[in-house]
Amino acid sequence: MKVELLLAKLVDELNLVNQKLGSLIELNEKMLKTREKFLRVGSDKNHSRTELKLEPDVMSLLSLPPSLRKTAMVLYKLEKATAEDLARETRRLRPVESAYANQLVRMGYLSKKREGREVYFYIESPMEIRK
Amino acid sequence: MRKKVLSIHSSRGGTGKTVIATNLAAIYAIKGLNVALLDLDFRSPSLVDVFSSALKDPVRHWLNDLLDGRCKAEQALTNVSEAYGLKGKLLLGLANPAIEAIRNMIEKSRAWEVTAVKRLFSLRSRLFDDMDIDCCIIDTSPGIQYTSVNAVVSSDVSVVVATLDSLELKGLENMLVELYDAFAKRTVVLINKVFPETRAWSSDEQKILIGKMEKVLQHPVIGIIPCYCDVLQAKRTSLLAVDKPYHPFLRNLEEVAEKLESIKEENVEEDILCKAKS
Repeated sequence: MKVELLLAKLVDELNLVNQKLGSLIELNEKMLKTREKFLRVGSDKNHSRTELKLEPDVMSLLSLPPSLRKTAMVLYKLEKATAEDLARETRRLRPVESAYANQLVRMGYLSKKREGREVYFYIESPMEIRK
Repeated sequence: MRKKVLSIHSSRGGTGKTVIATNLAAIYAIKGLNVALLDLDFRSPSLVDVFSSALKDPVRHWLNDLLDGRCKAEQALTNVSEAYGLKGKLLLGLANPAIEAIRNMIEKSRAWEVTAVKRLFSLRSRLFDDMDIDCCIIDTSPGIQYTSVNAVVSSDVSVVVATLDSLELKGLENMLVELYDAFAKRTVVLINKVFPETRAWSSDEQKILIGKMEKVLQHPVIGIIPCYCDVLQAKRTSLLAVDKPYHPFLRNLEEVAEKLESIKEENVEEDILCKAKS
């Protein structure tokens, strides 16, 4: 009788393990699909770069180092700015500002464009990107 | 007064933010300054009730519409100065209290918040450059939410209203470092609803309490305001600075208003650095 009880308990436990394995396999499949999608977007040269942009919202800024956060905050105020404009606002050196702004561009928080001889940094409005 | 934006914030609800914001705005307008008072508490709008008696026509454009890009700044602002006989302008920007509007604001995306903070900066420029506003006061929602953080980011000075509740102080300590210091904002704490016995305290006794609080919070405490039952029980539509100008609550708040006028918003980062070193 005791053995029967133990076996029944074992079957229950195995069922539970089976269920958990099932959900893990399902989760893994979802992760693989997301990864494939991400790699496809990254390798597609015709795909617009703007779709990989990050949203520099106030909460995201909190996770940035203070030096980069300061540069991004100035661009909330100014529509677009050269490294010199940024340096005037942050009271840091122009090359320093240029390095920070370019780092934010690489991270996907800012965009930059050339207008004549000047390079302007700006926050691409995500609302417009999605239209 | 040097033109500035003051955000009135708190770590929890019920600290008296709205009473402080509305009366601070009225104190400045009585003095002859041009003031804009914005309700950025989109989850629990209250200024529309406070100023309901002064609003002649139904509100057609809300701050919600302005941040959504559906109207211009001048359409979303109403001057109520005449209704209260104020010397300076008092422009109101109200949050829509309709349930649908509140739900709509809660569901906003991060992408929308980026546009909203940019529109807040643009509104700030319009107020100072085109509308002759001297001081803009923003009443925010409590805690760390997008609209309140947006307000903090677009302001020059943050006034954090707190009570002496120990649980609230713990949350406040965290918020001061993780939010205000992170954004390098000039921040002052205003302790409100302090136990009524403090009304009889001498200025030295008050200074001791302020000193203790500053040591705990590591930020300047700009004033302590005792609890007044009649202020708590006053009608929601009552504007104390106009209805009861000699109330002791107003005396306390006038002192705070004066200190805020002379506050400097420069060199915040240096101060934060010095504090961290010490």
